[in-house]
Amino acid sequence: MSNRPVPHARLAAEFLKDEPHRHFHDERLWDMRQKRDEQMHIMPEWQELREQASRLKEHTLAHLPQYLEQFEENARCNGIHVHWARDGAEHNRIVEKILKDHGHSSIIKSKSMITDECEMREYLEPKGVSVTETDLGERIQQLDNELPSHVVVPAVQKLTTDVAKTFARYYNTDPNIDDPHALAEAQRNAARPVLLSGDTGMTGGNFLVAETGSFVVCTNEGNADLSANLPNLHIATLGIERLVPRMADLGVFIRLLSRSALGSPITQYTTHFRRPKKGGEMHVILVDNGRSERLGMDDFWTSLKCIRCGACMNTCPVYRRSGGQSYGSVYSGPIGAIIDPTFNARKFSTLPFASTMNGSCTNVCPVKIDIHEQLYKWRRVLAERHEIPFVKREIMKMAGRLLAQPTMYRLAISGTEVALKTMPRFVLYNYLNPWGKHRELPHPVKETFHSWYKKNRLNRTKTQREETQA
Amino acid sequence: MSDETMSARDVIMQRLKAKKSPQEGAYPLPPVVTLGDQDASPERFEASLALMGGRMLSLQDGEGIEQAIRRAFPEMRNLCTAVPEVEGTLRIEDLETHEQADKVDVMVVRAAFGVAETGGIFLSEVELKDHLADVHLAQHLIVLLSKNELVGNMHNAYQERSEFRTAGYGVLMSGPSATADIQGVLIRGAQGVRSLSVIWA
Ligand code: SF4
Repeated sequence: MSNRPVPHARLAAEFLKDEPHRHFHDERLWDMRQKRDEQMHIMPEWQELREQASRLKEHTLAHLPQYLEQFEENARCNGIHVHWARDGAEHNRIVEKILKDHGHSSIIKSKSMITDECEMREYLEPKGVSVTETDLGERIQQLDNELPSHVVVPAVQKLTTDVAKTFARYYNTDPNIDDPHALAEAQRNAARPVLLSGDTGMTGGNFLVAETGSFVVCTNEGNADLSANLPNLHIATLGIERLVPRMADLGVFIRLLSRSALGSPITQYTTHFRRPKKGGEMHVILVDNGRSERLGMDDFWTSLKCIRCGACMNTCPVYRRSGGQSYGSVYSGPIGAIIDPTFNARKFSTLPFASTMNGSCTNVCPVKIDIHEQLYKWRRVLAERHEIPFVKREIMKMAGRLLAQPTMYRLAISGTEVALKTMPRFVLYNYLNPWGKHRELPHPVKETFHSWYKKNRLNRTKTQREETQA
Repeated sequence: MSDETMSARDVIMQRLKAKKSPQEGAYPLPPVVTLGDQDASPERFEASLALMGGRMLSLQDGEGIEQAIRRAFPEMRNLCTAVPEVEGTLRIEDLETHEQADKVDVMVVRAAFGVAETGGIFLSEVELKDHLADVHLAQHLIVLLSKNELVGNMHNAYQERSEFRTAGYGVLMSGPSATADIQGVLIRGAQGVRSLSVIWA
């Protein structure tokens, strides 16, 4: 893995060049955000649910060793093989060993960010193991040899025409198909024989239940149920932070997850695995890969509460206008910006600056992670570590490019000149803030940077007030 | 002991215990909550099911379940059944290979229970006679559900239904397989069943 800082602003500028892509991406994610709001508005208990989810996760993380032990014991009693992996490399070796012991070589896999995080495909494929993604979006990304753009909708940065071209290359379909239904049908038809012949099923998982030793997988396509149940060998990879104490706690999280993600009351499939199927074998790999270290960071441990709903991405004006690929990481958007630097502070040092600090991410987060506060804290940490010179360059570029509006472009440049005099304080706050309100594109702004800045400071109290309504 | 000689499990446990930032006393276990609308009516179930892309199949006067299925799927070449109420053309227990299941047009099963909040129906190895994957390979799914087996919302489901503690595999299906991964267009019948219909029975 290269250690060079991800040139987020330059990559975002690339993405912004094509108007149809930029427009669709922004609209689609904003639509998901609005659907989430609709669900929230019809549930008077929404804030209580968030509070409960947050407290449950905090409690679990504070007691993680004992809940992990409880999960392990119960899962073993149910006949599940439980493995532990310190890092991605160890995870991949465990998978390799399980396959080898069975003489297996073809994995059918449902979407799981954590195997991407472990770079499992990259490890296994040269060793002669085929890994086929069965989630449609993840499959598109695999065929294009790209990281997922979004934790819930991995190929959201692409248009139908892009997918048609990709499928034409691999599935021999017409490159000019402009109907998503026909493309989805092509994927269904291409996936079936692979699903039927795969010798090993792999899934991720959304929750581990300590009380029962079970784990839960939420999908819409049903591909996890096919991948896990068709072969006689099922391997599930989950991060150690995925625990909840009790079965009854799932009520809180399941009610929040898909509503926050897509604005649907629940995923089409909510699947509970508690023991291997008749005649089958089941393995769970619990992965640390930096999580135990993150749990030791006073300022950042609560990022482990994340249930990967993607709501913070959908609402983020910078993410919507820069695309997931520009983050150069498996995890993009606001959540990516606060967890990626824990993997590699230098490489991902630009990401905490890809934010307007408007606090919208924090407001929508179903487990109440103070995302924008952590972005701010990361900036300070990075400033202290002298990662600032190139960061400064990056944000200057961002000022000019991120927000594809000539008016803003000019203002951004002049704003930057003013702002640079007040470094690093300026870096720590954020001059993009006046643009950070959801999507409204600014009318030509008549104020000076200083008056914006003042207003922006005042807005911070408003943001806190909005918190209670979000 | 050094990291090399300890098991991965012990290393992770040791790291967690040594470095954990949140202190146990500060974060007590919150009591279990039951929030929101707990209406367990068939009407609420039907409305939620429709929202999730599923549909109700009601019996017409004097019609049996099997007749209703044949009426709804006049083109079907076969009907695989996991319930005593329907004879069908083959029984789920008789499926010998997944390839056979892949050719099933319509599958009929009985759900253990339904969730009114989400229009979800619960299937486990018990209802599926251990044919866990086969139900997802069929093209269309018909679900028999008793009005007496409804819970209000997901809190009720996890607290009241023992199946979550007894089943080895338990899936709550809320409508058919779906995706919106290509340009945000909602498509029903992505990888699993193309349609899901519920019959009160
Ligand atoms: S940080 Fe919160 S909003 Fe963002 S993906 Fe995680 S749970 Fe969802």
